[in-house]
Amino acid sequence: MTGTFNLALDTQPAAGAASAAWLLLVLPALGAAVLLIGGRRTNKWGHLLGSGMVIAAFAYAVVLFFDTTSLAAEDRLRDLHLFDWISVNQLSVDFGLRLDPLSITFVLLITGVGSLIHIYSIGYLNHELEDRRRFFAYLNLFIAAMLLLVLGNSFVTLYFGWEGVGLASYLLIGWYQGKDFAATAAKKAFLMNRVGDVGLALAIFLMFKTMGSTQYDVVFSQIGDQSTGTIVAIGLLLLLGACGKSGQFPLQAWLPDAMAGPTPVSALIHAATMVTAGVYLIARSSPLYSLPQAEDARLVVMIIGAITLLLGCVIGCAYDDFKKVLAYSTVSQIGYMILAVGLGPAGYAFGILHLLTHGFFKAGLFLGAGSVMHAMNDEGDIRRMGGLWKKMPVTFVTWTLGYLALIGFPFLSGYFSKDEIINAALGQGGTRGWVFGGIALLGAALTAFYMTRLLILVWLGKPRWENLTSPATPDPESPEAPVGKPYHPHESPSTMTIPMIILAFGSVAGGAILSAVLPEWLTPAIGEVEETHGALSHTMVGILTVVLAAIGAGLAFLLFGRRETAVERPKRVSFPVRAARADLFGNHLNEALFARPGTWLTRALVYVDNRGVDGLVNGIAAGLGGSSGRLRRTQTGFVRSYALSMLGGSILVIAALLMVRFA
Amino acid sequence: MSVMSSVLFLAQVQPVPSPAPAKIDPPALDAVWPILIVLAAACVGVLFEAFLPRHQRWPAQVALSLLALAGAGVALATYLSDAPEAGEMAMFNTLAVDRPALFLWGTLLALSVGAVLLIADRSVEPGGAFVATAAIRPGTVQDRAQVTATGMQTEVFPLTLFALGGMMIFCAANDLLTMFIALEVLSLPLYLMCGLARRRRLLSQEAAVKYFLLGAFASAFFLYGVALLYGYAGSVRLADISAAAAGTDRSDTLLFAGMGLLVVGLLFKASVGPFHTWTPDVYQGAPTPVTAFMAACTKVAAFGGILRVLQVAFESTQWEWRGVLWGVAIASMVIGAILGLTQTDVKRMIAYSSVAHAGFLLIGAIALTDRGLSGTLFYLLTYGFTTLAAFGVISLVRDSSGEATHLSQWAGLAKRSPLVAGVFTFLLLALAGIPLTSGFVGKFVVFEAAIDDGMAPLVVIALVASAVAAFFYLRVIVLMYFSEPAADGPTVTVPGAFTTAAITLGVLVTLLLGILPSFALDWAAGGAFAIR
Amino acid sequence: MTPTYYLLLSALLFTIGAVGVLVRRNAIVVFMCVELMLNAVNLSLVTFARLNGDLHGQVMGFFVMVVAAAEVVVGLAIILSIFRTRRTASVDDSNLLKY
Repeated sequence: MTGTFNLALDTQPAAGAASAAWLLLVLPALGAAVLLIGGRRTNKWGHLLGSGMVIAAFAYAVVLFFDTTSLAAEDRLRDLHLFDWISVNQLSVDFGLRLDPLSITFVLLITGVGSLIHIYSIGYLNHELEDRRRFFAYLNLFIAAMLLLVLGNSFVTLYFGWEGVGLASYLLIGWYQGKDFAATAAKKAFLMNRVGDVGLALAIFLMFKTMGSTQYDVVFSQIGDQSTGTIVAIGLLLLLGACGKSGQFPLQAWLPDAMAGPTPVSALIHAATMVTAGVYLIARSSPLYSLPQAEDARLVVMIIGAITLLLGCVIGCAYDDFKKVLAYSTVSQIGYMILAVGLGPAGYAFGILHLLTHGFFKAGLFLGAGSVMHAMNDEGDIRRMGGLWKKMPVTFVTWTLGYLALIGFPFLSGYFSKDEIINAALGQGGTRGWVFGGIALLGAALTAFYMTRLLILVWLGKPRWENLTSPATPDPESPEAPVGKPYHPHESPSTMTIPMIILAFGSVAGGAILSAVLPEWLTPAIGEVEETHGALSHTMVGILTVVLAAIGAGLAFLLFGRRETAVERPKRVSFPVRAARADLFGNHLNEALFARPGTWLTRALVYVDNRGVDGLVNGIAAGLGGSSGRLRRTQTGFVRSYALSMLGGSILVIAALLMVRFA
Repeated sequence: MSVMSSVLFLAQVQPVPSPAPAKIDPPALDAVWPILIVLAAACVGVLFEAFLPRHQRWPAQVALSLLALAGAGVALATYLSDAPEAGEMAMFNTLAVDRPALFLWGTLLALSVGAVLLIADRSVEPGGAFVATAAIRPGTVQDRAQVTATGMQTEVFPLTLFALGGMMIFCAANDLLTMFIALEVLSLPLYLMCGLARRRRLLSQEAAVKYFLLGAFASAFFLYGVALLYGYAGSVRLADISAAAAGTDRSDTLLFAGMGLLVVGLLFKASVGPFHTWTPDVYQGAPTPVTAFMAACTKVAAFGGILRVLQVAFESTQWEWRGVLWGVAIASMVIGAILGLTQTDVKRMIAYSSVAHAGFLLIGAIALTDRGLSGTLFYLLTYGFTTLAAFGVISLVRDSSGEATHLSQWAGLAKRSPLVAGVFTFLLLALAGIPLTSGFVGKFVVFEAAIDDGMAPLVVIALVASAVAAFFYLRVIVLMYFSEPAADGPTVTVPGAFTTAAITLGVLVTLLLGILPSFALDWAAGGAFAIR
Repeated sequence: MTPTYYLLLSALLFTIGAVGVLVRRNAIVVFMCVELMLNAVNLSLVTFARLNGDLHGQVMGFFVMVVAAAEVVVGLAIILSIFRTRRTASVDDSNLLKY
C-alpha cells in the first residue's frame, strides 16, 4: 500500500501535470511575498492578486485531481521529490511532496474553500481598505503553509506547514491589535499551540531515533517492527500535537477565543482548514494507528474525541456570542472527527468525510455570521438580533441550509457523515461501542439544541434590535465599530453572498456525493473501510440520529421559540432556568428533568473552561511574566553582584562535579 | 613580584635538571597562513595608525582589513583543497588544524567580513559608530563637537583583526596554555572596542569596565583550572590530559576542580547562564557593530573551545561531568527565555536570546558524538549570521539621540519602513527557529543529535524554552506590524553600501541555510577533532 | 617543607583575590585583586612544576606574567577613562546598564 513511484521517471503524459505540484505552494507564497514587499503600492489590486493566486492554485488542484483519477488505484500514491533538504551523517530529510488521494482531497478543500473566502473577504474588508492587502498577504501565507502541511511527504515537512499555519493564525487572530482581548486571545492560541507543537516535535525526534527517517513511506513500512512502547509513545505524542492544533480537550480553550480575529479568518482557519490539521495528522498516520500494538493509543484518541465533542456541545448552549457558539460547535464537530479517526480502519474515511462536509457547512455558517455582523454594526450578541430573515433573505437561506446540514437533517451533507461516524462508533461492539456510540448520539441531540437556539434568536422571532443602538463599549469584532449607532441590517454585497450560496450548495449536496465516492477514493491512502456491525443496524442508527436531533431541536423551540428573549443577559438566574420558568411554568417535572441539570452542567463546564483551563493558561503566562519581572531585578547593574553570581555558579559547578565523582 | 621570587626560590632549592637542547626545525606554515595573515594585517594596521595622516587612515584601514580577510579566506581555501583528512598539528603541536578548526576558521572569517563592514560604515551615523577621539571626556564641549565630527578612532580595525586572530587560535589550540593566551588576545581588544561608542559614551564606557573586570575575573578562573589540570596530568596538552584521565592513580579532586574552573571560564566567554550576567549590559552599552562582532564571533570561538576541550580532553570522564553541564544548559535556557520576556530594550532582548541560544548550543556540545559536533558547528554558523544581521538592522533605527533601541520606539515600524520590518521579522523568526530559516535546521540537527545520544529530557526542556523564547520574538513582530507608530518615533536610516552588504549577507545565509543546508552540514560533518 | 603547603597558600591567595573582587569598591583595587588571583595561579604552576619535575609550569608562569602585564595596560586605560568622566573609580557608580 505504501509503494511509491518516482514522477520524474514517469513518462505518462499525466505526469506533466503532477510534476508541477510545487506550483501549489509557490502560487500563494508568491502572492504573500508580493503583497508584503510591495507595501502600499499594491493597495489597489492587492486583494485581486491574493484571490487570483488561490483560485489559480484551486484550478491546478482540479487538474491534479483528474490527473490522479485517470490512474489505476494502486498507482495513485505518488511522491514528488523536490530536493535533498538536510543530509548529514545518517540523518537525511528530503523535501518532497506526496500526491495521493488524501492530500489531494485536502488540497481541494483548502484551495476551494480558501478561494471562496478570499472573494468574501474583498467585500468584508471594504471598511478597511488601507490594511486590506496585508490581510490578503497573511491569508495567502496561510494557504501556502496549509498546503505545505498536507502535501509534505515527511513528518518534518508537515512540521514546517504546522508551524507556518500557527504563525499565520497568530497574526490573523491578533488582527485587531488595538484591543486587549485580541492580544490575549492571540497569546493564548500561541501558548496552547506550542504545547501541541512540542508533542509533535518529540514524536518526530522519536521517529528519527528509532527509524532514522521521517519520510512517510519509510516510517510506515518500519513502524510495525518497533516495540509497543515506541509505537504507543509516538501515537500519543502525535495526538498531543493534534489536540493543540485542533482545539481538542484539554487544549480546546484557545479556539473560541480565536474568534477575536476577523470572521473570514474564523471561517477559513478556525473552522474549515487549520483546526482540522489534527484530524489530517491522525489519518495520515493511519498505518501507525491501525497496528494492533497501537490499540491503547487509539483508545486515548477516541476518549479525547468523545470528551471534546460532548464538552463543545454543552458549552455551546451557554454563550450569547454568535461566533463563540459556532466556535464551540466547531470544537465539538472536530471531536466527532477525532473520535472517527480513533476508531481505526472503520472510521478514517468517515472522519475525513465529516471533515469535508463540515468544511462546507461550517465555513458557510461563519460567513453567514460575518454577513450578519457586517450588517449589524459588527454586533455579535445574539440577544440583540432576531427577525433578521426579512432583512437578509439570501444570508438567511444559505445559513439555514448550513444549519440543517450541521444538525444532520436527512439527506443533507451532515446527515451522511455524522450518521456514519455514529454507526462506526456503535460498531465497536460491547460496552465500548455503547459508550462511544451513546456519546455521539447524545452529541447529535445537543447539537440540534444549541444550533436551533441560535437559529431562533438570530433569525426568527421579533426584531429586538429595532429600538436599540450599538453598545457604548466597542465591540469585539472591530475597534472601529460605530458606538451608539442604530442598527440598519441590510443584505451584504454580492462578493459576500456568492461564496455563501456556493457553500450552501456544498452543504446540501456534498454529503450525498462524497459519501458515495470518498471511501473508495481514499482507499489507496488510508486503507479500506472496515465493515462493522454493531448492536443496531445502520438504518436504525440513521433513524435514531434523526429522531434525537429532532428532539433536541424541538426542545429548543419549546424553550426559546415561544416567548420573548430578554436583550440583557439575566444576571442572577441563568438563562435556561428563567426561560423554563417563564415558558413552562408549573412544569416542574420538565424543569427538573431537563433545564436544571442542563443548567448546572453547562455552568460547571463553563466555569471549568473559563477558570480552570483559561486560568491555567493565563496563570502560566502570568507566572512566566511575573518571574521574568522579578528575576530581571537580579540584574542589578553592579559589577560586584555579577561577580558574585559568577563565583556562586563556579562553586556550584565544582561542588557538583566533585560530588558526582566522590559521592 | 612575589611570584618571581618564589620561582627563583624553588629553582635554587633544587635545580631541575635541564634537558639537552633539542634541534628546533622551523615550523611548517601551510596550515596556519590564515592566522598569520590576519595577525600580520593587524600589525600593519597599527603601523598605519602611526604613520598615515589622519584623513587617509579610514580608507587604508578598511581596505587593509577587507584584503586581509579575503587573503586569509583564500589561504584557507587553498589549504583546504589538499588538507589531510585527519587534520595536522602545526606550530610545534600547539595548534591542531583539523576539520572542525577549519570549519570554525571559515565561519569566523566570513562573519568578520560582515562585522568589519558594519564597523566601517559611515552612512548610518556620520563618521561611523565610533568615537572620534576616545580620550575626550564625555559631557564636555569637545565631546559634543566630536558627535558631529566625521573622523573616527580607526584603531578599531587592527583591534578587530587582533581579536579575530585570537579567536582563530582559540578554536584550534591544542594545549591549554595556547588557549589561555588566545583567550586574552581575543578578549583584550574587545574590552577596548566596547568603550568606543560615539554616542552615549557613559553607557559605552560602563560596558567596557564591566566587561573588562568580569572578563579578567573569569580568565583567572580559567587559568587556575589550567594550573590544577597541569598538576593533575603533568602537561597542559589536551591529549595528555585525556590520557591521564583514562588512568586511575591520580587525584581526581585536581581533575574535577580544574575542569570545573576551566569550563567556567569558557562558559563565561560563551555567555552561558548563570555566567551570562555581563552579556545584557555589555551588548546594550557597546557600539552596535561591536556587539554584532561579539555576539557572532565570540560565541563561535568560545563554543569552538568548549567543543574541543570537552571532546578531546574530557571525553573519558563524561559520565561524571555530563549531569552538571545538563544543569548548566537548563539554567541557561531558562534564564534566557524567561528574562527575555520582559526586556524593553531590543539589544538586551537579543542578548538574552543569545543566552538561551548558548543553552541550546551547550546541549549539542555535551552530546559527544559526531552528530553533536557537526550539529553544534552548523548551529554556530547559522546563529552567527542571523545575529550579525539582526544587530545590523538594529543600527538602522535611529532618532535624534542615536539608535532608538527602546522597544516602544519600534512600534509600528512596518508602516514607516516595510522592508526593514520585514527583514527584522525574518531574522527574529530565524532566531525563534521557525521552519524555512536556518534557525530551524540548526535546532533540528542539534536536538536530533541530543536525542540520539540519550538526552531526551533535556530536549523536552529545550523545546519548552524555545517555545517561551519564541514568544518574545513574536512580541516584537506584533509590535512592529500591529501597533500605531508614535508621532515622534524614530526614523529608519537608509543604509550605505557597507551596512546593506552586511545585512544582505546575513539574511541571505539565513535563508539559504534554511532551504539548502546540506552543503554546510556536509562541511560541518567533515571530520572529528585531531587528538595528538 | 612540603610543596603541598604552597598549593594551599596559592588556593588561599586565590580565594582572597576572589573575595576581594566581591567586596572592594574601587575599580583599581578590584583589578589588583584579579592580579592577585593570577599570581596565586603562578604559585600553583611553579609548585606543580616542581612536583612534576619539569619546567613547563615555570615557563607558563612567565607567559602568565606577560599576559597580566598586557591586561594591566588595557585595564588601566579603561578604568582611567571612566575615572576621568565620573571623577570616581567606584565600580558601584557604574550602574546605568541594568535590568
